[in-house]
This record gives sequence, C-alpha cells and structure tokens, in this order.
Amino acid sequence: MWTTAVVSGITLGSFYTLIALGFALIFGVTHTFNLAHGELLVLAGYVAYWLWKTSGVSLLFTFPAAVLVTLAVCLLLQRVFSRLSEPLELNSIVMSFGAAILLQNGMLFCFSGDYRLIRVPTFNQGLHFNTLYLSYGQLTLLALSLLVTALLYLLMRHTYLGKALRATIQDREAAALAGINVGGMGVLAFAIGAMLIGLAGPLYGCVHYLYPTAGLQATLLAITITIFAGVGRVRGLIVGGWILGLAESCAVVLLGASWREVVGAVILLTLLALRPQGILERKQ
Amino acid sequence: MPKKETTSQKAIQRQVAWAVLGLVFLLLLPVFARYSDYVLQVFTHALLLATLAWAWNILGVSGSISLGHAAFFGAGAYTSAILSLDLGLSPWATIPLGGVLAAGIAAIMGLFCLRLRGAYFALATLAFVEIPKVITDNWDGLTRGSLGLVGLPGLPSLRLGSYHLDVSGSLVGSYYFVLSYGLVLLVLVTLMFRSNLGLAFQAIREEEIAAEAVGIEVQRYRLLSLLLSAFFTGITGACYGHLIRYLEPGLVYGLHFSAIPMIFAICGGRFTILGPALAALVLYPVDQFIFHPLLPAGHEFLYGAVIILAILFVPSGVWGQLRKGHFVSIKTGSIE
Repeated sequence: MWTTAVVSGITLGSFYTLIALGFALIFGVTHTFNLAHGELLVLAGYVAYWLWKTSGVSLLFTFPAAVLVTLAVCLLLQRVFSRLSEPLELNSIVMSFGAAILLQNGMLFCFSGDYRLIRVPTFNQGLHFNTLYLSYGQLTLLALSLLVTALLYLLMRHTYLGKALRATIQDREAAALAGINVGGMGVLAFAIGAMLIGLAGPLYGCVHYLYPTAGLQATLLAITITIFAGVGRVRGLIVGGWILGLAESCAVVLLGASWREVVGAVILLTLLALRPQGILERKQ
Repeated sequence: MPKKETTSQKAIQRQVAWAVLGLVFLLLLPVFARYSDYVLQVFTHALLLATLAWAWNILGVSGSISLGHAAFFGAGAYTSAILSLDLGLSPWATIPLGGVLAAGIAAIMGLFCLRLRGAYFALATLAFVEIPKVITDNWDGLTRGSLGLVGLPGLPSLRLGSYHLDVSGSLVGSYYFVLSYGLVLLVLVTLMFRSNLGLAFQAIREEEIAAEAVGIEVQRYRLLSLLLSAFFTGITGACYGHLIRYLEPGLVYGLHFSAIPMIFAICGGRFTILGPALAALVLYPVDQFIFHPLLPAGHEFLYGAVIILAILFVPSGVWGQLRKGHFVSIKTGSIE
C-alpha cells in the first residue's frame, strides 16, 4: 500500500512539476501571477478531448493542437499583462482572476459543464513488480513529465537564450543594462509557458476529469510549488512537485481521497506564513 | 477657507441627492415590478450582492484584497442553517451567530494571512477557502456533506406595530427585508469610514509605515477590518441560506462568492462608499436580463470581462472615477 502511495506520489509529483514549470517561468521573468494558469491547462485538455472524441486521432496528435491553442491565448494574455500598472503582482492577480472567469465561462459555453475524461485503453493496463503495480498511464505521465522538465532544464542551463532568461529572472535592470531585451524575454516566457501547458493539458485530461472550474486546483498547486522552490530553479521545482505529490498521496492513504485538496492548501498557507516577504526577495 | 467649504457642502448635497434618488427607485421598485416576479428576484439578489460587496470593502478599504470571502459566506450560511434546522432556533437568532462563526474563521485565517501583504495575502485567502469547504464537505454527520442541506426554515415575518412584513412568504417581503439590511449596512459602513476607525484603515492602506509612526497599531487594525468584513459577509451568507432555503458546499464555498464581491467593489470603486453597491445593482441585473437569456451557459464571462477592463482602464473604479473632482472623498474628507 505504501509503495503504491510512494510511486503514485512521485508520478503525480513529476506531473505537478510539469504544471508548475510554466507558471514559475512566467512569474520569474515578468513578475506577474497568472491565476488563469489552471484554466489554460484545462482548456488544453478540452482541446485534446474534443479532437480525440470527434476525429478519433491518437492522443499523440492532440499535443500540437493543444499547444497552438494555449500559445494563442497566452500571447493574447501577455499583451494585456504588459499594460498593467504598478503594483504589478497584485494587479496581475486580480486581472488574471478575471481572465480565469472568462476562460471558465468560455469553456462552459463550448464544452458544457459535464465531466469529461480522455480514456486511453492501454493506460489502464500495466506492469507488475512483485507487490508494485505500474500502469502504462503512470509510466507515460512520469516519462513525459521528466522528459519535458529535462528539456527545459537544458534550455535554461545550456543555451544562450536560457542564460538571458535566467539573467532577467535574477535582475531585470542589470539584464537590460547588459543588452537583454527584457520585454522580449517576457513574451518568450509566456510562449514557453504556453507550450508547457499545452503539453501538460492532454495528459491532465487523461488522469483528471475535465470540467470548466477544474483549473483552480492546478493553479494552486503551481503556486505552491513555485513558492516552495523560488523562481528560476528547475531542480527545486522537481523536489517541490515530488514533496507535494507524496504529501497528497500519503493524505489519501491516511485520511481518504476527499481530504486531498486540503493538503495542498495547508502546505501553501504554511509556506506563505514562513516566507511572508514573498518569492522574489532572496536571503542576503 | 470658506470657498472650499461651500464646494464641499455642494458636493455633499449632490451625493445625498443621488443617494435619495436611488433609494426612492429601490423603495418603489416592487410597485413597478409587480407583474414580474423575476425582476423582483433579480433585484433582491442584486441587493444581497451589494451587501456582500460592502462587507468585502471593509477589508478592501484597509488595502487588502481578498480572493477568499466565500469562506466566510459559506461558514455563515452553514452555521445559521444547521442551528435553525437541528436546534429549531429562530433564524433571527442564528443569523448573527453565523456572522460570529465567520469572524471566528477569519481569526484563524488571520493567523496565516495577516503577516502577508498585497499579492501574497490574496493568494493565501484564495488557498484558505479550501479548508472550510472540504471540512463542510466531509463532516457528513453535521452538514450532510455534499448532499447539501434542504428545507431550511424561511425567515419569520416581522411586525412593526400594526405593519406586518411577510419576509419569506412573499417576494416583496424578501425584497424589503434585504433592502433594509442593505440600508443598515450602508449606515454602518458610512459611519465606520468617517470615524477614526475608518481613517485608521485608510491610513494603513496609504502608507503602513507612516500609519505606524502616528500611533496606529497596524496589525490590530488589519485584524479588526478582517473580522468586521467576515462578520457581515457571514450574516449575508446566513440570510442567503434562509432566502434560498437550500445549501450545498460547492455553491456557497464556490469561487462565485469569492469573486463577485471583489469584482463589484473594484469595478464600482474600492475607496468609495456607494461604488461597490452601485456596481452590484447595475452589473447583476445586466447579467441576468441581457446576458443570461443570450448565453445560458457562460453568461458570467461578463464579470471576468469587467474586472479586466476595470483594472486596465479605471483602477479606482467607475464611481471612484466619476466622483473625482465632484464629490467628497472618504480618503481625505475633502475634494479630490
């Protein structure tokens, strides 16, 4: 039982990291909180669901469509975000809260409020190792999440572009002085964030029921992991995702599935209480 | 300065004139709406949302933006419903208790949130709602969990001398009840904003360090504004329960009741007295009369759209913007 909990915690946690990556990148580069993050994820899931249901294509082919849709919405969001006045963090929260309501109602209009799930038959089969059982769904989730996270890590650490992004995260003014186009980095962060969400969305539709208001949970866990890890630290995000995934699956074992949502909320509140000065300030 | 005083008096007169006009409209509305129950229902709910926006703004005026007022709304609604259903108490006794429990929840929230400022306070309140929601959802013995509570007692009729107001039995009765609650709250909010308490809240919003320097105990006042805000939100929640007579965790703890008061207060004017209520009385009927028939699914996109537009173009709110240069500011007590 506990090994199953640990395995599912790590699997879920890796997926949570994938969800949080885009949020952390956008926040780190542009200092805006995108509360519509979860809604974008659910939107990508709906796009995949719709394609899978209507044309019967395999899940693999839904990823490009989902990425395109989230890219379009995110670039639009970026245009609006870039017009915000100070205080940027607070205004972005209130505004993206509005964007989340817009997206929720748009999805309610397009896809109705019914619960949807992308059912991939092979995902329910799996491998047995003694007492441990791993479904192909879990394996796919784990492999894809870690693969995308690794690619982002390589991008951030081993390319010139990644260096520019990290410089912008660390100090915007110094980055601008060094000739980095900080505004352009903001657009880029939204674009990369959109791609990450577009990749995560169809997977989300396979493991969670899709309904228009499902996004809040995902937003909260992206915020939790980002606050735990701080911005611009891919490895910290992985550890944060795993801790959250493990905490949730342990809570499910100990308390029952209905208490799972509280765990994330309590962890976030505790993190905020411990770091009241926020994420951006670093220890001197 | 005599000149300034006369302008200020004029401005006050104009504001009072507008308020009286609005009040006459609201008082006479049931006469016009006699043939349409729907119109009356919509305005009853709009008034209830106006009280919610005022209650939210007690916290808002001290500079904190909450995205979690559904926690207080739901707690108030459930407390009053359970006490009146299980113990058979009169709703008039249980409604204030709903407010008290909501304030108790706010005290717990304050432990987590009051050290935080701005965006981080907002995030913490957003996360906090999950706690009372999931507890209500899982405490089957007390709250009947996700089945919800049905058959809540309605509000008993009120007697004022020979006059008899059938609160829950008739739509007009419910309407006048909510209207009078709104007026009581308006008087309380106005007195509060103009008292030293309100000045302290506004001083904290404008500049915390300076407020501390002139002797305002910032954390104590922030806690007080949170408790007062939660108390009235809880009372509104309790009234909502007895008017709708049906409760469900997803309904009263939903994002809707966190978002709506914030949107109305910011769109109307966070630093004004009338703004939040005006936004409720305009936007909710527009939503119900125009967008609901057009788009039965998804009509609430309106609220998302207006808050985005407000943050981008009128951050001080529509009423706050209109009033600039014409009306008395609660911020400074003089002409802006």
